[in-house]
Amino acid sequence: MPSSAPDDGPSPFDRYVVPEIPVLYRVALSLTRHHADAEDLVQDTLIRAYRAIDRFDGAHPRAWLLTILRHTHLNRVRVRSAVLLADGDGVADTLDRLGSPAPAAEEVVVSEMFEGVVAEALAELPEKHRQVVQLVDIEGMSYQEAADAIGIPRGTVMSRLHRARARIRSRLAAAGLTPRKRGM
Amino acid sequence: MVRLSRSECHQVAKVLQSYLDGEVEPATSSMVAAHLETCRKCGLEASTYRAIKAAIAAGAPEVSGPESDAVERLRMFADGLEQGDGPSGHDH
Repeated sequence: MPSSAPDDGPSPFDRYVVPEIPVLYRVALSLTRHHADAEDLVQDTLIRAYRAIDRFDGAHPRAWLLTILRHTHLNRVRVRSAVLLADGDGVADTLDRLGSPAPAAEEVVVSEMFEGVVAEALAELPEKHRQVVQLVDIEGMSYQEAADAIGIPRGTVMSRLHRARARIRSRLAAAGLTPRKRGM
Repeated sequence: MVRLSRSECHQVAKVLQSYLDGEVEPATSSMVAAHLETCRKCGLEASTYRAIKAAIAAGAPEVSGPESDAVERLRMFADGLEQGDGPSGHDH
């Protein structure tokens, strides 16, 4: 069991883990697409982190926690896969199957045409591309943090992200919404 | 001010998104920043990607309702762990 907190400061668990709960939950939601599943996933992650906190050196707590979250998620998916699939198609396919499509464009309340086209293009991106956009542009993660969260190389995060935004840009250009070369 | 060639535009285009994400080395960042000040075409491209990033962030739903409730419950769960309420028999 982790050692208890000294009297003069927060425990390592309070210092490194508790502040990351909102991020963990948002990432869990992006992985599971279900509120209840996300909450369960974060609970399991917190338990694992609590048990391992004494061995954590304090460096990069978010990356450490995201790695725990990802491993926990994969374990849960494997268990679910064994139940749902007689002969599983692999974790990646299962992850895709678990995710429902992003909200349709009409569900996104936007007043400006630019934001409307962006939202529409975002919703039409492949799930794997939309996921990295969400982690980087919405959650504010670095490429490495997003890579840790999903369990893919940093370079793959970068290529998916750049391709996703380039596709959004193409949609904007087709709609005549990219800046023109007139006096700025 | 340095006059920039088409190949420099090409180099900047390759790292532009990483630059806007703050994911390039300081030397590259300086090079791109200098280029964007002098090259209108690349400057427009950077503006477009900045606007895309801003629009994506603006379109994200606020953390409220079920999400904020869930985060609060998870904080309480974490408190419970520290106070010895669990986790018994919950290992995976």
